[in-house]
Amino acid sequence: MITFKKRRTWGLTISVILGSLFAIVMLAYSVMLNNTAFFSGWVLFTLMIFLTLYNARKKLTYPPLFKSASWMQFHIYAGLLSFLVFFFHTGWRLPTGMFESTLYLMFIVLAGSGFIGLYLTRTVPKSLAHRGNEVIYERIPRFVKELREQAEALVIESVGFNDSTILSDYYSENLAEYMSRPRRFGLHVFMVDRMRNEFQRELGALHRYMNEEERRVATQLSDVLVLKDDLDFHYSRQGMLKGWLFLHVPLTYGLLIFAAAHMVLVHAFYGGLS
Amino acid sequence: MAEVQAQLQTQMRDKPKRWDLPFSRDLPNEIECRDLTEKELDDLLEIEPFSKMDASKFPKSLPLREILRNDTRTRVYHNGDAVVRVGDYGNSAFMILEGDCRAVIEGLDPSALGRGKKQQRSALDSLMSLFSNPKSPEVRDPSLYPQFAEAQTAKPSSSSGRVFAQDVPNVLELFPDTYEKTQNNVMPQGSLFGELGALGRVQRAVTVLASDPTRTKLLEIRWQGLRDLMKFDGALRAHVNQLFRSRGLLGALQSSPLLQSANLTAEQWEQVVAEAEFETFGSYDWYGSYQQLRQKDVDPLSQEPIVSEKGQYPNGLVLVRAGFGRLSRQHGYGEHTFGYLGKGDVYGLSELMHNAESDTQMELQATLRAAGYMDVVRIPTRTFEKLIYPSLKNAQSRGDLPNSVGGETLDNRRDETISLLDVDTSKADVKKAEAKKADAEKNNLDPSMMEFLVENRVINGTQTMLIDLDRCTRCDECVKACASGHSNNPRFVRHGRIHSHYMVANACMHCEDPVCMIGCPTGAIHRTEGGGEVVINDLTCIGCSTCANSCPYENIRMVNVRDQSNEVMLDPQKGRPIVKATKCDLCVSHHGGPACERACPHDALKRVDMNDLDLLSDWFNR
Repeated sequence: MITFKKRRTWGLTISVILGSLFAIVMLAYSVMLNNTAFFSGWVLFTLMIFLTLYNARKKLTYPPLFKSASWMQFHIYAGLLSFLVFFFHTGWRLPTGMFESTLYLMFIVLAGSGFIGLYLTRTVPKSLAHRGNEVIYERIPRFVKELREQAEALVIESVGFNDSTILSDYYSENLAEYMSRPRRFGLHVFMVDRMRNEFQRELGALHRYMNEEERRVATQLSDVLVLKDDLDFHYSRQGMLKGWLFLHVPLTYGLLIFAAAHMVLVHAFYGGLS
Repeated sequence: MAEVQAQLQTQMRDKPKRWDLPFSRDLPNEIECRDLTEKELDDLLEIEPFSKMDASKFPKSLPLREILRNDTRTRVYHNGDAVVRVGDYGNSAFMILEGDCRAVIEGLDPSALGRGKKQQRSALDSLMSLFSNPKSPEVRDPSLYPQFAEAQTAKPSSSSGRVFAQDVPNVLELFPDTYEKTQNNVMPQGSLFGELGALGRVQRAVTVLASDPTRTKLLEIRWQGLRDLMKFDGALRAHVNQLFRSRGLLGALQSSPLLQSANLTAEQWEQVVAEAEFETFGSYDWYGSYQQLRQKDVDPLSQEPIVSEKGQYPNGLVLVRAGFGRLSRQHGYGEHTFGYLGKGDVYGLSELMHNAESDTQMELQATLRAAGYMDVVRIPTRTFEKLIYPSLKNAQSRGDLPNSVGGETLDNRRDETISLLDVDTSKADVKKAEAKKADAEKNNLDPSMMEFLVENRVINGTQTMLIDLDRCTRCDECVKACASGHSNNPRFVRHGRIHSHYMVANACMHCEDPVCMIGCPTGAIHRTEGGGEVVINDLTCIGCSTCANSCPYENIRMVNVRDQSNEVMLDPQKGRPIVKATKCDLCVSHHGGPACERACPHDALKRVDMNDLDLLSDWFNR
């Protein structure tokens, strides 16, 4: 079985070789005073079509078309190559016209989202695996509801102890909103732990005003808050893993349409395909 | 109201029952697919062993005649046809009614046995199913179910426990003379065979060929029927037990890669068989107690009987015939599990090899426990030293004694203090041994992972779904891919027991010991021939949930089925939905293997044979 390290080495080596070959061909074309834009443009468009086909491959489960993981590797390195081809195609200059600027920007954002996606898919799973229980994204709202009900039951239980309102006041003022839905999206996305134990610390500080039974309930409530924080963490980071595709995939199709229009225009003004 | 009732009536379907589809009709060949006639049943009841059975001992719900009618079928084979093939899984036993058969232990070319490809959908079919799949989950065509009148004339799409007769003319002439000695036994009329594979849930140990020049007529009995016949007839029970013991022992020994490499003569085989001991440890229905133990948090080691204990004198070579064993050593106040053994593995070989030529006697280096149950064959030390060691020593000195033969591991103990190679003394061998040891150490499984795998009986899986959570992006492409090929309903849940960052997902593991098959009243859950995947025949499943309840890993799910108008089919008597058992079938009818693994973009999901420790450690150490 090939290790990830070996696979990465192979992938990068082949990409560098292909990239170099492309650069040499471009150089040869320019030396021969040919218009390199058409060659690089068609290479780029072909790469874009190939990159887009990966999404179609995902829909075709059973036809024997290589493993999805193999496609993903091709996708990554073809994406990397397309970045190089793009800069050769644009002549390492910024565009001037409105249409070309839009096309340029779309490609940059698309490629950028691809790199970000690659980074996320390699880092976020690790953080998820080592925090809280494994949970299916779509079920998180249900679990949040269950936790809220548990927390509310605990608070109601605490009110029965000598009509004390320490916990119930704290809950309604500080926790009710927090428990109502997944929260702290931004903090979890950027892995900021600053607020992680905030409520537990505050609850701990309230212990001095509580009797023995209230302290027991407060400890149980703290445990619920830990679970809620873990759920929020999974909700945010799993959401992020799914969310970046909502930028990457639609932009792919948008770019394809713009690129096709760009090709038609270029060939039309150049005097046709011949 | 009447409209609603009429609509309800159309949804009503007869609840499937055992014997809705008699075994004799569960055949793909339309000519053979027929009910046994009353005359045939009368004839059967007049021959042994049925003529000696006391019909009054059978309960009213399971009369002898009805068992024969529904759980048996007659098959006609021609000279050279394969009845059962070595390596196949089967759910039925055979009795020779006319003619005779030959049992061939080994040596047949697979092509001579006509091993065909599995029936798979074409690529175009797979593509078209994307557009033709119904929108609702679990939609079935009711007309295919045998309990409906129209289905009685239809050909079932698959059958359980059937064995295809292969047209292999004159195949017996293809064999070299060697098989005429001990490995090509003629079985006369009245013989029973295949009971070992049918009852023991193990692969067929031999190939049986029809060998009568005219024709061979066999009675095929599915294992549910054989089980019931044995239950209510003591003589048959004793007979089968005797066959089980004698053939099981011989078959286990002769199919062992280790003993095969010893090249024993017929006389030596006889001696080994005579002196070997056949032992069973633990409980055959281990899964029941295992489930209870999990709930009660009992120390599992306390419930696992010891086969051999560390420190004891090695009194024989232990060959694992079926089941699993845990290898452990004392560590502090507890036991450290560092390996496991499965079918085909051996225990004690290193010590015996060492002791056979050394003055200093080495004691057993590990404790072997039955994890669940274990069938073992023990070849006494004196027999080993006298008959087997000389050949093995020669093979070893030639470097012909690998750690693995024919895909079966001879010694699974990765971190043994001694190994086969330790016995070598030359410098080159020492270097080789050290290199191998270093390699083995590098590839060793994490000890806590080993404990986890054994503790949770994951070692039972031959296609266990492992997910690396450090790479899994939770995109559910695996789930979607599975659903797309299985009635819009995935056959697994991306959820399960986790150790470190590895998840054993709730997907059928296609176990080495598939306990889910025990108790299925109709044989709907069965092994496919050739591949051995555990699959469910939807047509004969009666939705009794026995398999789902038996599965220790909770990998079988009962689902409500719908008709083509997307309405849930209902049982007319009770008004309850008709349910069917569903599980991962490893995409046997599709190209390219399991869709889940092929659909994972990040190489996070792998189906792993837990007996292949090399693959497992490679995958963990990618």
